[in-house]
Amino acid sequence: MKKAAISLYVVVTLALMIWGFYQAIYVAPTDAMQGEIFRIIFYHVPSFAAAFTFFSVSFLGSIGFLSFRRSHPEWAQMADAWALAGAEVGVVFCTVGLTTGPIWGRRAWGIWWTWDARLTTTLVLWLIYVSYLLLRRFTAGPQMQTLAAVLGVFGALDVPIVYMANRWWRTQHPAPVFGGAEGSGMDPSMLHPFLWNMLAWFAWGILILAIRYRVERQHQKIAAREAEQALNA
Amino acid sequence: MDAKALLDHQFVVAAYSVTWIIQLGYLAWLGIKWRAQKREAARNIRDTG
Repeated sequence: MKKAAISLYVVVTLALMIWGFYQAIYVAPTDAMQGEIFRIIFYHVPSFAAAFTFFSVSFLGSIGFLSFRRSHPEWAQMADAWALAGAEVGVVFCTVGLTTGPIWGRRAWGIWWTWDARLTTTLVLWLIYVSYLLLRRFTAGPQMQTLAAVLGVFGALDVPIVYMANRWWRTQHPAPVFGGAEGSGMDPSMLHPFLWNMLAWFAWGILILAIRYRVERQHQKIAAREAEQALNA
Repeated sequence: MDAKALLDHQFVVAAYSVTWIIQLGYLAWLGIKWRAQKREAARNIRDTG
């Protein structure tokens, strides 16, 4: 039953990805101002929306680990696995955003990169979570998870700063399309393809998040068994 | 298709390709890691009896 539900989810996700691609390339009209290049929005914006969501999962996992590490060690391990999975999948989506953005920028602005507040805070966010992953990869011992959780909590503080950057400061990056000033928004002919792609990328993100969580839980179990063997030897 | 539209199209193709290379590359890496761990878990259980 569980296997069938997972298979169904994978099939639905793949169908959404194909449908989203079709909507982005063939259904959405060409933008009057930017032309064809505008179609990058269908991958660029959902990638950052997914990255922010998965960094939030990492934040909650880190809080959970710090809260339960003494009272409920098993819950703490699960929370830590969610924290790691959220950070790693978030970095993947943030990397997509940080590579599609300059490709778009090169055509729209004539430059690959500029040190404005939005781009810089996003790069800092990416660097914080890459350092989180490096910390987990290259350190060992009982304090590693605690240090990582603290970094995960502080790293997440950059998420609202990135989100608000083009509202608080004047930036090269365009003003927000959604929830921005009066007159912001998207024409329904573009909005529907955008929402399909948003749904598709979130479905994909949840799938890889769940896989990463399973892998980490398996890793924790192997590590616990090895530690037990070492104690009994 | 004029020159501007053609160049725009090439940039869109580049952005979409990069996205899929990163996402599928990560999925493949996860798959390799998962298989390696399954083997390690099986060996671990076999060694301890």
